Amino acid sequence: MSRAMRRIAAVSFGVLALLTVWLTFQQVVAGSTYGDDPRNLRAIPDPDDPRRGIITTADGVVVAEDRDGVRTYPEGSAYLHLVGYMTADASAGLESTRASDLRPLDDGSITSWLITLFGGSVEPPEVRLTVVDRIQQVAVEALDRHTGAVVAIHPATGAVLAYASSPTSDPNGLISGDLAVLEFRENPAALDRVAFRLLPSGSTFKTLIAAAALEQGLRPDTVLEDKTEFLAPGAGLPITNITGGTCTGGDEISLREALAVSCNTVFASLAVDMGGLVVNDIAERAGFNSILSFELGAAISSISTAEELDADLGALAQTGLGERDLRVTPLQMVILTAAFGNEGEMMNPYLVDAVLTRDGSTLQSTSPESLGLLIEPAVADDLVSMMIDVVTDGTGRAAARPDMDVAGKTGTAEGAGGPHSWFLALAPADNPTIAVVVVIEGEGTGGTVAAPIAARIIDAWFG
Amino acid sequence: MSERTEAILLLAATLLVGIGTAVITLTNDEGITIDAYVAAAVFLASFGGLLFALKTWASRATRLLLPPVALLTALGLIEVFRLDRDLGRLQRYWLLLAAAIAIGVLRLLHGRGVEVLRRFRYLFLAAAFVFLLSPLLPSGLPIGGATINGSRLWIQLELGQRTLSFQPGEAAKVLLVIFFASYLAERNRGLAEMPRSIGPIGLPEPRQLLPLLLAFGVSFAVLVYQRDLGASILLFGVFVVLLYAATDRPAYLIAGGLLIASGASAAQSVFSHVQVRVDAWLHPFDDFSGTGFQVAQGIFALGDAGLFGTGLGAGVPYLIPAAATDYIFVALVEETGLAGGFAILAAFGLLFAVGFGIAIRSGDTFRSLLALGLTVTLALQMTLILGGVLRLMPLTGITLPFVSYGGSSLLANFGILALLARISHEERV
Repeated sequence: MSRAMRRIAAVSFGVLALLTVWLTFQQVVAGSTYGDDPRNLRAIPDPDDPRRGIITTADGVVVAEDRDGVRTYPEGSAYLHLVGYMTADASAGLESTRASDLRPLDDGSITSWLITLFGGSVEPPEVRLTVVDRIQQVAVEALDRHTGAVVAIHPATGAVLAYASSPTSDPNGLISGDLAVLEFRENPAALDRVAFRLLPSGSTFKTLIAAAALEQGLRPDTVLEDKTEFLAPGAGLPITNITGGTCTGGDEISLREALAVSCNTVFASLAVDMGGLVVNDIAERAGFNSILSFELGAAISSISTAEELDADLGALAQTGLGERDLRVTPLQMVILTAAFGNEGEMMNPYLVDAVLTRDGSTLQSTSPESLGLLIEPAVADDLVSMMIDVVTDGTGRAAARPDMDVAGKTGTAEGAGGPHSWFLALAPADNPTIAVVVVIEGEGTGGTVAAPIAARIIDAWFG
Repeated sequence: MSERTEAILLLAATLLVGIGTAVITLTNDEGITIDAYVAAAVFLASFGGLLFALKTWASRATRLLLPPVALLTALGLIEVFRLDRDLGRLQRYWLLLAAAIAIGVLRLLHGRGVEVLRRFRYLFLAAAFVFLLSPLLPSGLPIGGATINGSRLWIQLELGQRTLSFQPGEAAKVLLVIFFASYLAERNRGLAEMPRSIGPIGLPEPRQLLPLLLAFGVSFAVLVYQRDLGASILLFGVFVVLLYAATDRPAYLIAGGLLIASGASAAQSVFSHVQVRVDAWLHPFDDFSGTGFQVAQGIFALGDAGLFGTGLGAGVPYLIPAAATDYIFVALVEETGLAGGFAILAAFGLLFAVGFGIAIRSGDTFRSLLALGLTVTLALQMTLILGGVLRLMPLTGITLPFVSYGGSSLLANFGILALLARISHEERV
């Protein structure tokens, strides 16, 4: 009998040990898995503990901090769409997505206990952005009194260097109560035009058409027919060029020249020749029609399906010029621009470089994440060399620099109140460290309005 | 352990109750209220009385029983008060009553010994059945059955304005363990004979399985008529373990395990309330605002706790449904952290070690089986509820001994404490 009893006792203690281990496991797993669950009321910062960490730029400028218990945004309207705000009853931007990272560390967790044990700081952490204030301020200033957006990323990593949207507004007014949150959300300044504004891309889309053509076996110096107009089979109105005649004045044009001068008839005819499948495919590879996992969320850039395009060749021709039903966000355009300068590989844009304790040790850091290969490296090299010609000899001359080659592409998209001006840029072209996308709504052509702004951003980056 | 150490530990637990209660009212900006003094006084009176009774009527009993029970009771008293002031105050009356009953048991058994219980075993069996069946009394009478949270295991007593709820199954649990122990102490030899065998495992005659099947039938009936999954598993589990201990025949464990497995799978497919529990266990977030809500809130609470918790009164454990009963452990972990959780598990570990020690050392079969049965009752109950709230198994509504709110549970468990102390006393005669 006592042998059985000893066994029963042993099993009981085994169960007790299992419960001990399981309790620890559940705490660690549940703590990390469900800490940010929106249904978890415990994840919301304690209203009785207003202390929150600071947000700084990559070059050390504080953009959000507590001053005497009041959340303050020292750079005012410059970071509204990026940093956002947190008030008692509303939050937006990184202030919302990083709410749990900004909580004080002395929260009784095992982590905080270990930190204290080894003499570390448990002050509210620092969230360090990838954004560089020097460039951000230039972008904000350049956008002043315009409606539009500037976004710049590092092509090799996807680290966002500038993220500006205009019009904007000072979030400190929301904290002080001068602005009511509900009214603010109706304000045009509330719209983040980098990730949520959908516009036709205009001729910047020709970069993707050119990439598809290179994939189909064309070379940059392949000679194509330079036509005065192009009428797609079944279409009502022919497509013409800005010049009114042919793009070169002659009747032959290379692919390289066609991109440099943004030759409409060539790209419309290329789109129709390649067909809906090819055009739709390269756009979808670039991320069109799918959800992008971006920290602040993003609208989905869209292109018609291959079937829809093939059923209406007029629409396919116009899609080749970035018009008709094509809609893109500046964020989408910067992802593919960066990919051209990164051997064809797309990187997911990210905003937070690291979360640090106040004495500088790293709590978490972001690793660059690939979104896959958009085009082969050889195709990317050819495309970039063609985009250099856009800046040296073509529509993008306003972005040219004496010290280095810049690759770019202009775009002028139809808009109700005037054309939307686009510019994509990579600098230096041979090994880019910055990819820039500028869009200004309703003010003119890409080469005259957006390209000079892109040039200022690039100046700030290398200046 | 010396008498002095024991007294010091009980005083420490008393201080814990007083300070813990004060911390809760202080966190709530109420200052130190009378509650802190009353709670400490009630606690001191209960355990002081118990200490005195043990010294008088069970002087040779181990001194290791009272301290872990005091710690568990103290934490329970504090956290129940933290979750619900009224329940917390009510729990103090239950504690006084429970201590009085334990003292009464020690007094009654003084001189006669636990042996006397064997004489009344059929009376206990009958009483256990009456208790088990009493919730099925029609409701509306001055004393009648009631369905709470979908289980019919309560009787309610109308006392003027107040309704006093009582779970007679808790008392039945102790009475049945006494019956099992005395029945098996007599029949163990017959039941241990295994005329045939497969390899090393002996096989009993079919008629030897009759008691096992009977116990299974009763347990299953409890599940069907009272919808009480926890009590059902507890009753059958304790019987199977005792049967194995009494006969030393693993065949009974295997047969019992097979019966539990088939019963569980049958219950899972037939009874919607069992099905719901299983779903909530495996996929609590699928029906977050419905059946999974309690389990999901428990997960959030555990995750938020950290090493030392939010501090007493500083967490939000009241977000979990049934926090004061089923989820008392998670509520305590949220506010006292992993450290508090380990303290509770350690206290149970010590209590079980003492209980199993008493059972193993006791020379007499009945006393040995009784001590084992009582200890296994506590251990199984703890396993069922902690396994449930920590998601090792589906949640079965059952109290955490000494910690959860619940008058009937407290009375029954203090009865178990008194019996264990008495057996320990007799074992050292």
